[in-house]
Amino acid sequence: MADLIERTDAPIERNREVRPDTPAVFDTVTPREDSLAERLITTQSPQRPQSTPRIRLEVDGRVIEGFEGQTILEVCRDNGIEIPTLCYEPKLPGFGACRMCVVEVEGEAVPPISCSRNAEAGMKVQTQTDELRRIRRTNLELIFSDHNAYCLPPCQNKCPSHIDIPGFLKANAEANWRESVRIFKRTIPFPSVLGRVCPAPCEEHCRRDEVDEAIAIRDSHRYAGDQVLRAMRDEGVEPPLPFERQAPSGRRAAVIGSGPAGMSAAYYLLLAGHDVTVFEKDPAPGGMLRYGIPQYRLPKVEVLEADYEAVTRLGGKVQCNSELGRDFSLDDLQNQGFDSVLVAIGCYDTNKLGIPDEDADGVIDGLDYLRTATLGLPYPGHDKARVVVVGGGFSAMDCVRTSVRQGSPEVTLVYRRDMKDMPAASEVHEALEEGVQAIFQAGPTRVIKGASGKVEGIEFIRMQLGEPDASGRRRPEPAPGTEFTIPCDRVLLAIGQGPDLRWIGGGSSGVTATRNKRLQADAVTFETARPGVFAAGDVRIGAATVVQAIAEGRRAAYAVDAYLKGNDLSAIRTRQTLAEPQPEFLSIVPFTGEVKEPRYRLKALELEVARTNYIEYEIPYTRDEAIAESTRCLQCTCEAIGFCDLRRLGIEYGTTLRTLDKGFHQGAGYRSVTENRFTGVNHDYVRDDSHAFILREPARCIDCGRCANVCSEVVGAACYDFMRTGFDTLVTTPLDMSLNDTPCVSCGRCAETCPTGALMPKPRILQKYEVDESRCILCGICVDACPYDAVRDSDQFELAHVSREEPLIDLLALASVERETEMSYIRRERDWAERARAEGRLIDQGRMLPVLPASLTHER
Amino acid sequence: MTFLTTPAGWAKVLTGRAGALGADPADLDAAVKAGAFEGLKKAVRDGATLTTATVGEANLGGRTGAGHSAADKWRAVANSPVSQRYVIANGYGADPSVHTDAALLAADPYAVIEGLAIAAFATGATDAILVVRGEDAAAVSRLEGAVGAAEEAGLLGDDACGSGYRITVTVRGLQGSYMLGEQTSLIRALEGKRAQPDQVPPYPTERGLFDKPTLVHGVQTLAAVPWIVREGADAYRKAGANGAAGTMLVQLRGPQGGVAEVPMGTPLRELVTLAGGKPDAVKAVLVGGSTGGFVPASALDTPFEAGALKAAGATIGSGSVTLVDQRACVVDLARLLTRFAADSACGKSIPCRIGLRRLSEIGDRIAAGNPRAGDANLMTDLAHDIAASGLCDHERLATLAFTSAMTHFRDEVDAHLLRSQCPAGVCMPIAMGAGSQGSR
Repeated sequence: MADLIERTDAPIERNREVRPDTPAVFDTVTPREDSLAERLITTQSPQRPQSTPRIRLEVDGRVIEGFEGQTILEVCRDNGIEIPTLCYEPKLPGFGACRMCVVEVEGEAVPPISCSRNAEAGMKVQTQTDELRRIRRTNLELIFSDHNAYCLPPCQNKCPSHIDIPGFLKANAEANWRESVRIFKRTIPFPSVLGRVCPAPCEEHCRRDEVDEAIAIRDSHRYAGDQVLRAMRDEGVEPPLPFERQAPSGRRAAVIGSGPAGMSAAYYLLLAGHDVTVFEKDPAPGGMLRYGIPQYRLPKVEVLEADYEAVTRLGGKVQCNSELGRDFSLDDLQNQGFDSVLVAIGCYDTNKLGIPDEDADGVIDGLDYLRTATLGLPYPGHDKARVVVVGGGFSAMDCVRTSVRQGSPEVTLVYRRDMKDMPAASEVHEALEEGVQAIFQAGPTRVIKGASGKVEGIEFIRMQLGEPDASGRRRPEPAPGTEFTIPCDRVLLAIGQGPDLRWIGGGSSGVTATRNKRLQADAVTFETARPGVFAAGDVRIGAATVVQAIAEGRRAAYAVDAYLKGNDLSAIRTRQTLAEPQPEFLSIVPFTGEVKEPRYRLKALELEVARTNYIEYEIPYTRDEAIAESTRCLQCTCEAIGFCDLRRLGIEYGTTLRTLDKGFHQGAGYRSVTENRFTGVNHDYVRDDSHAFILREPARCIDCGRCANVCSEVVGAACYDFMRTGFDTLVTTPLDMSLNDTPCVSCGRCAETCPTGALMPKPRILQKYEVDESRCILCGICVDACPYDAVRDSDQFELAHVSREEPLIDLLALASVERETEMSYIRRERDWAERARAEGRLIDQGRMLPVLPASLTHER
Repeated sequence: MTFLTTPAGWAKVLTGRAGALGADPADLDAAVKAGAFEGLKKAVRDGATLTTATVGEANLGGRTGAGHSAADKWRAVANSPVSQRYVIANGYGADPSVHTDAALLAADPYAVIEGLAIAAFATGATDAILVVRGEDAAAVSRLEGAVGAAEEAGLLGDDACGSGYRITVTVRGLQGSYMLGEQTSLIRALEGKRAQPDQVPPYPTERGLFDKPTLVHGVQTLAAVPWIVREGADAYRKAGANGAAGTMLVQLRGPQGGVAEVPMGTPLRELVTLAGGKPDAVKAVLVGGSTGGFVPASALDTPFEAGALKAAGATIGSGSVTLVDQRACVVDLARLLTRFAADSACGKSIPCRIGLRRLSEIGDRIAAGNPRAGDANLMTDLAHDIAASGLCDHERLATLAFTSAMTHFRDEVDAHLLRSQCPAGVCMPIAMGAGSQGSR
């Protein structure tokens, strides 16, 4: 039985479709362990004779020294000044195709490109003026306008927390639930909870939709999460950790609020080695998850508490019945020795309608109602009351569906906009099936109060749609003369909430509220106006989804961690940007050859059972179904994501992302930028995987010519060249033939030099070779011959094997690592685990955690 | 091929001998009788330094406004420490609508060959190469015959004109590519590679064909060299008008178009008249060929000379002057020209490969009556960025069509953008929309 829930009344037996449990094999690519930067360092400056005269020049106001005959670019890179390039291949003379390395030289009208311009003594060079950055940005934008490829798959892009969705689905497809959960927990600690309550924005953008139907992403991680929880409950197996836990830092962090934002922040702070105490005003942790979401959607004990155990098992302390402002103040916490305080108290103040007689007896705050109802207690008198629920969000849905379960004879939902504009549009059909009446495009005008002061009805007015507002939805405007009345005994208001900020002041002064009555905090560093106090989640951005709150909590944890380690928070800004990018590009190559296989849907309880009962109404997958559903994933992520120079420069020059602008999302900050100024005709090319070692993906080619130059100048094979003319120019093989038909020697230099994912080394599953070191004569031929630097010289031995077993970078060490994105790490590590498995190496199931190299763990 | 009759008083530097050569301009005897190779003989007598100085004094220069005078380039090659040097005459005539190079090579091949030989002598080049269109097999064999005849006569070859100096001229027919008008592209093509430009500097005079110092000139420039050596620098300078030096063959397109030898600095108004147009009736003049710019009727006093044309938003380019009358829509013309430039680009650099295409797409949107918000600014910004980060002149000049249209014909562009009207009635969807405007 895969279900976590005890089901006393077994639902009607159904014949489940049995689908073959096919293990999936996907193409992934062995990442290059030597980063571009490393290669630049080793190959940048060819050995020049010592006698070459030295020259001095001024770059960005700094006097630097170089050798005569070096280009400006070489001199700058030797001196640690970064000039962006895409087409420059250090082994070859400058090519001049990408126009990224333009610099300004004093006294020259046209900016020269630094890769082919020799440095001259006394030259004054500027590398980063506004004009240059604009030119580079334009060039990048032009490239992106014809770059028919994704970095992150759209699902991952759209997920507020950027879960590695293809990653965990792949683990699912291999029935490796533990690994799946581990990947999931990198970005969200609670897979089972999210598997039930997430609105799944990812699924709306799934590319599988172009073949048949979107993947059931949420239901898939729900299944994997449940398996881990079950193993924990029944067999006492510890849930997996996404990273190795760092050594205790000796710092104490307070988190106020045990909702999704607070608890996810607590989880990642615990992993970072801090001592965390969570303060909760209610008798039990969970916040809105416990008191706002009904039992039939999120079982409290089996799922919520079980998932939350992840925090307590790491040593997190939860102190309930302690409310900020009532039981303690910020001063108190800091006096108690907490080095940082994260305020994640959520939104509990229901908005008022602002209509006459709103305070009539029988008009109830929807949250108060849910609070009682989610505890499984019947709300007094509800079983006979005709109920009207005003609102269109998830709380409104919870109110109507709970009212149905509590036996209300007549339940009406009224929402002022159209159904398609409802935030909870996905759930409305289920509510209608359960017998709810729904009225759209109507707004309340007054409550009708009887003589006893009790509500007798509520008057609405029809709304018509006006101009679109800031959210892009058309603003509803009342249509005069269309008033109508719904007689009722209860009115539940679920029209949105704001945070309760009455605790500000006194011992909790120093923090400020925004104009929208949110707690003022930075979108990236989460700092409030008071030092050491951070804010994240609904209290900062207003009532949002669970997954947004968790994403806030995780990102806030990075910032708090950096603060606790004494790092510069302004530097975090850049790194957070690199870690949270959402480059999004143009139309996609349509899928043609995929076998259609529709989505496996969760079955629901029979209506008559669901209507009367708080048991979770969705029935989870069987094992086979879960595997088959995950196997449907097209794995449309770019294999080169961590190595792509185009992506790095795109982020650096803001062509793909404008995250740090606070104007977006009411200050929540992150916004994907889809509008490229130059969107227009673009090319679709077909992937060529005919070659055994080299994978060609011309849609990702930026025509820099590096492969062509390296292949002809260094290797001598000349497999590639610029073909066709004008806009259609593409660096490819003659007649676009397979590499097998060219003079290709399979050396892999082209894949090595490719700045994007257009040419990639394919994963190779080979015999593992053994080296008998007693017979090694240290001739070094293997070092010279290996195109992948698998064997290198080192300082301890003349020959040493480079271990690729351990990835180099940890996510939580992000603050100390430049220019490595979270995704590159995730991908590397996933590939590492895969390789290890493919080669039959032993992986300790309990500790599937890479050990950090000592150089990265030290505190700065 | 005959040239247009020009007003008396216009100097005939390039076409002066054409009439005297008779039926076969490649007939060496007739050419020598008409004065061919007199210049080379004088240059051999004067020596390389004096010849170069004369050319410098004549102010013979890069006609397209690149700004390097011929003599500077000659000296750069001559002073190179590398002994292997090349001189290349570019007679490819890349612009398909311009026949000046072909006309010159047909009318007076020995002028070009002699000029090439003088340049080779003055720079100490070991090889002189005359590049022409490979598909014109007749022209290739005619030129090869002319070179062979001159060698046989001892005018070229091991002991050219008795100088004791070896000058070998070879004729090379190259395959078609629009980009061959660009000197570094031409060099790549001669090396047997794809015709794509290289970043300058280093200029070909320093690192050119096979990385050796190389002098590249258009055939017109070289054809003027023997005349300058013969007649003197002063005469050449005086051949121009309004302070500009020398003459140039111009492809005129109008009611009575053709190729004419025009003194540099001649006002565009006179060229309009020469092409059979009425200066009052033209709307604009497209100067510079497919990568040229529009000069409005109000600026017809602009002299045909690199600096003035640049200031007016055009370029000498391929040496083409096309009359644009009231029936033509500037937006429509600009987008077609830009699209042509985009399609004939070599595809090496990003601003050129993608940027020009995007520029023409913006033009398409404007012409089709569905511009996006901000397209006018976007066009200006993009054109500026392409010109600022371009690899070669092709992409820089290809933006001129739109930038000059935006500068001089902003009203017409705005009529498309703001009122969905095409004043000339060319852009069809808009023209129809404009017709129904009254009912809206």
